[in-house]
Amino acid sequence: MFDVIILFITDLLAFFGIYLMLNTALNIERGYAGIPNFGLLFSYAGGAYITGHLTAKIAILLTGAKVEADPITQPVSALMVLNPILASNPLISITLLIIILLIGASFGALLGLIQLGPAIRLREDYLAITLLALGEVMNYIAIAYKPFINGSLGVQVPDVFSWIGSRYRFYLATGIILLIAFILYIYAEFLGRTPLGRAMKAIRENEIAAVSLGKSLTRYRAIAMIIGSAFTGVAGSLWTLYSGAITPTLQRFDWTFLPWLMIFLGGIGNNLGVALGTFIFVLINRLIIFNKHLLAGVLPFDIVWFDYISLGLIMGLILIYRPQGILPEKPYIPKNIRRKIVVSRSQE
Amino acid sequence: MIETLISGITYSSLLSLMALGITLLYRTTKVPNFAHASFVVFGIYTSYTLALLGYNPYLGTLLGFIVSGIIALILFYALLEPLRRRKSSIFILMMATLTYDILMFGIINIYADYLQTTFKIPARNVYLAPQDFTLIGLKGVTIVSTSLLIVLLMLLYILLNRTIIGAALRAVMENPSLAQANGINVSLMLALSWFLAGGLAGVAGALLPMYMMTDPSTGMLLIAPMFCASILGGLEQIYGAPLGGFILGLATTVLVSWLSGVIGYWIMTYSLMVPYITLIVTLIFIPRGVVSIILKR
Repeated sequence: MFDVIILFITDLLAFFGIYLMLNTALNIERGYAGIPNFGLLFSYAGGAYITGHLTAKIAILLTGAKVEADPITQPVSALMVLNPILASNPLISITLLIIILLIGASFGALLGLIQLGPAIRLREDYLAITLLALGEVMNYIAIAYKPFINGSLGVQVPDVFSWIGSRYRFYLATGIILLIAFILYIYAEFLGRTPLGRAMKAIRENEIAAVSLGKSLTRYRAIAMIIGSAFTGVAGSLWTLYSGAITPTLQRFDWTFLPWLMIFLGGIGNNLGVALGTFIFVLINRLIIFNKHLLAGVLPFDIVWFDYISLGLIMGLILIYRPQGILPEKPYIPKNIRRKIVVSRSQE
Repeated sequence: MIETLISGITYSSLLSLMALGITLLYRTTKVPNFAHASFVVFGIYTSYTLALLGYNPYLGTLLGFIVSGIIALILFYALLEPLRRRKSSIFILMMATLTYDILMFGIINIYADYLQTTFKIPARNVYLAPQDFTLIGLKGVTIVSTSLLIVLLMLLYILLNRTIIGAALRAVMENPSLAQANGINVSLMLALSWFLAGGLAGVAGALLPMYMMTDPSTGMLLIAPMFCASILGGLEQIYGAPLGGFILGLATTVLVSWLSGVIGYWIMTYSLMVPYITLIVTLIFIPRGVVSIILKR
């Protein structure tokens, strides 16, 4: 019983960490800069698949191991050589992890740039169409181009967490996910208070007014998208490393719709609200999944579809009755300006 | 080659029917309807259900029009109208259509699962082409889809330009508040446009299983071509949609099959990418669509 609870909490926290990264990214894109990114899946899947493609190759380079088999098409025999080396060598494992995360971040940022490049000057609705359409592309590429991640079969990746011992492997992975999510969260909160973040919010509030004050629409949107997509890419990378394998089956529902639902639930523009929304949602969702077997066989359909309906209804209710979320955004006024406001008021 | 061209024309007609609805809704409600693909999928399952019951699946075009029209009306009255009353932003309206798409995806999958487990019918690979008829060497679906497109376009033209309802609808498209001030029931007119657009998508969906293998997630494949056709034609003119539909439809079928002869067969795998590339190129060079070039002259 105790083991089951520990397992549940580890699983819960891992999902919370991954979604927190995605949602802070989305919050920078939508909450700060006003980009309706309905194509979150593009950079997330990109990060996940590039990790699947490169981890084994970089591991071979780092360890110098003699691997006859091709790590993409014959992952099992390649991993039989690689995994023991990584398990006995924490230093190489950690180096590999850091390199992969950096690659995930830069690949994600690149994809963000590709995604936004053509659409950067468009109106909100055209932007949304382009991003949504592009979101579906990454899976086609991964399925069509076999050498990427072995087509629809997918790949297994070397385990960079196993050096701590197989018993604690998932705890370590979850801990690292939470740590990185926390760092990214702090960064996003910090970004919101800098002049850069405030310029983004100015553009979101009123494009024309911001442009007339000399804030470049293109520049700030591009920066927001690059930062957000880099976060998303890291989340994708960590998801692949955590699950140990990846197939080109990442869904728009899980990795675009749910993040939107969570930030709407918590409060768009407010990082604390986003974190709260993420935690509430992931907790309820995991509890349902954990107890799903109770309902299996009772219903004449797969219980998964019930999620689509119930979550769709919840989202509809949020949109109508509380689109600002549980914790609505509070305007942030920097200290020096706050002082000026106080002074000018006292003079009146 | 001729065979590819005919198949391309069929695909283009179906695509035009779908894009027509998107453009119509964009003109009236000012929102890109991300739930359009699920209206199509409801059409698919309407004609499939009719075929299972032993009726001619072509009856599905009529019933599909009604079913998908009602599905669209539910979206309008349950989500969009309350949001419009609250003066929600375009972004919230877009999010609402995306939400409805997810909801409908769940419902159609439950229906497919229900058919499969209760009646032991393969409801996840819907393909009705073997039941199709042939006339003077042409497949039934080609004849029906092209002629239906022409008939529906004519009917739409008559409705919009020759009736009092059409005049009211056009007034709502041009300026909703002025239309309201003149005593036009804007909400009712918007509802009519949703019913028509949903219906057109339902007709296209009802014909789709005659043309290709379909399943509940076919909608995800169609969302890019539909929007691409609509934007390529030009979102500001309703009759741009069939134009965009034909350009894109022929490009994805005829052009790709010609290229596969020249470059190599591997290019066929990437034919799904054509809509995305076309969409981006259109947005860079002619963001107001092909119609804007024609009208300028």
